[in-house]
Amino acid sequence: MKLTTKQLTLCALLTAMALALSYLENLFPLSLAIPVPGVKLGLANIVTVFALYALGPGEALLILLARCFLGALFAGNMNALVFSLLGALSALGTMVLLSRRRALSIYGVSVGGAAAHNCGQIAAALLTLGSTAPLYYLPVLLAVSLLTGGLTGLASACLFRRLRHTDLMKG
Amino acid sequence: MRPSPKLHPTAWDALVVLCVAALAIALALFQWRGGTSQGLTAVVSVDGTEIDRVSLEDAAGEKTYQAGAYTLTVEYAAGSARVRTSNCPTQDCVHTGVVSRGGQSIVCLPARIVIRLEGGAPDPDAVDAVLG
Repeated sequence: MKLTTKQLTLCALLTAMALALSYLENLFPLSLAIPVPGVKLGLANIVTVFALYALGPGEALLILLARCFLGALFAGNMNALVFSLLGALSALGTMVLLSRRRALSIYGVSVGGAAAHNCGQIAAALLTLGSTAPLYYLPVLLAVSLLTGGLTGLASACLFRRLRHTDLMKG
Repeated sequence: MRPSPKLHPTAWDALVVLCVAALAIALALFQWRGGTSQGLTAVVSVDGTEIDRVSLEDAAGEKTYQAGAYTLTVEYAAGSARVRTSNCPTQDCVHTGVVSRGGQSIVCLPARIVIRLEGGAPDPDAVDAVLG
């Protein structure tokens, strides 16, 4: 993959934004309202959706990997890396497949990504804990992902509406 | 330039939503099938290895479990269990509250401790849709 200076800059900017958003969502602990491990807004998914459409799957993957590694490094918690990586990679994989279906809007892609993110995290929990107990939370997580996926879809749609006429989307 | 995404929800989006909802409901029905608080046993495991087993028939009292840097205090009562305190950063296990039906569990991810209720006669009346 050969990146132009503009693309590289955009990737770096989006990585920084994704990290900032992951940090920001700690201020809105959704898990207080729904006490299930893994419940969160998933604001960083807005960046993944945006990068996927504005730049492409390869660039979205680069941003996602940088975000997961740097996020784990900043938090000083390498145990969390397997959770964020499995979650984020399943989300991106699902969204790449879904975005190829032109009939789907950014909302459907975003909801599918959020649901896949939770499946990936539960898979990580199954692997880490060596117990099927985390599966118990999956129905709640999937229900929540309809809401959070819809929200990140809405945010991404607003973003694209605002940026459609700028030259950011060209090139 | 890459094609711009559709920005308004379509009927196909509803299909994605339905698929996710159907999966959630199917999993919920499969896992949360009733279960009463009769003859329950709390099985505590760390990293998938069972470390303790407490019958909840008439149990009352507290036990402390340690895994890595984390210590959980679990309060057992007749037919129920809850994590009273934990020094883990997320506190999800404490917020989960009381579990009292077979199949329910409390998971503490940082400590990798799982407290799972086993046994409990199936409840023919209702599907348990209450969590936490």
